[in-house]
Amino acid sequence: MTSEQLFIKRLLDAADAKGISKIFSKGEYLIKEGQVEQSIYFIEAGAVRVFHVTEFEEQTIRFGYEGSIITSLSSFITGKASEFYIEALRKSTVKIIQKQLLLEIVNESTETLRQYNKLLEGLIIQQMEREIDLLTESPAKRLQRVLARSPNLFQEIPLKYIASYLRMTPETLSRIRNS
Amino acid sequence: MQIENNKLIDDLLRRMESCKRIVKEFESLPINKLQFKKGERWSALECLEHLNLYGDFYLVEIEKRIITNPRKNVSTKFKSGILGNYFANLMEVKDGKITKMKSPKDKNPSRSPLSITTISRFLKQQERLVTLLNQCRSIDLSKTRAAISLTNLIKLRLGDTLRFYCYHIERHVLQAQRALEEQGQMIRELERRQLGHG
Repeated sequence: MTSEQLFIKRLLDAADAKGISKIFSKGEYLIKEGQVEQSIYFIEAGAVRVFHVTEFEEQTIRFGYEGSIITSLSSFITGKASEFYIEALRKSTVKIIQKQLLLEIVNESTETLRQYNKLLEGLIIQQMEREIDLLTESPAKRLQRVLARSPNLFQEIPLKYIASYLRMTPETLSRIRNS
Repeated sequence: MQIENNKLIDDLLRRMESCKRIVKEFESLPINKLQFKKGERWSALECLEHLNLYGDFYLVEIEKRIITNPRKNVSTKFKSGILGNYFANLMEVKDGKITKMKSPKDKNPSRSPLSITTISRFLKQQERLVTLLNQCRSIDLSKTRAAISLTNLIKLRLGDTLRFYCYHIERHVLQAQRALEEQGQMIRELERRQLGHG
């Protein structure tokens, strides 16, 4: 196991001990815009998306499926109102790990602190990948990049949300896939 | 109709402020209440989504007219055009009466189930509109023309477009409010009858 996996296992054991697990039905929100994020979520089963609402559209920025850890990160860190929604895309079983519990585990030992750092570093690297995605002009290349890191995307997530994530219309996405 | 730019904008801003206050309160209501439909009539969320679809057109159009505006010999008095005045008056709610109107197919919101994000999008559009209205204070609202969503054959004076658009928002926010009120009355009536039987 990598140190990130060790850390996540430690988190889940703690969450199990406290027994905070919840089932969200399709369309339910884990968090809404304006609320302060108090938790991180481990997706045991199902799929969720993180999105931002603008005047003109809903912009999907991230997905979570079985085995993912997800949260409205900026709100979780700063304690300010979330600018994002997290929505269950189908019936999803979610383990909820509250900030307090997370911090207790992080501060247990230098080892857990190191593991937590690894987890955050991983997140930063993912964000940089995403930044390159958004700077990639060709829609086909954007799709290739995403499929390279998430080969099962189309099995997990409805097409219209993938299109939103890739900043293209569902029509364009269908065309690229079929060509 | 003839009016100082600032007076017109202040009036429209006041109307939009009151719309915002009303819709803000929707945020705390349960989703099934917001989605509730009485027959063919629109739910509260459908009223707001209808406005969002209009906003997609008008916010872009108004912004374009502001940006491309030549700022010389600006008159800050607005004189309404005949057609523009007619359309704006048609939209305005008078004495709290909402006259029935048919809405164009592409602005019909009853196609997909709507969620709480409809409210959030509406409030963001309102924020944008307030900024645009304030920018309009120093623009010639009579000489500047703007398209309307109904047809691309005519353009209206920007001041009339603003009036038309804001009155339209007021109309459907009121409609949304009424949809919720009627529902409250129906529930109370049902409760009363049940009590009567018990």
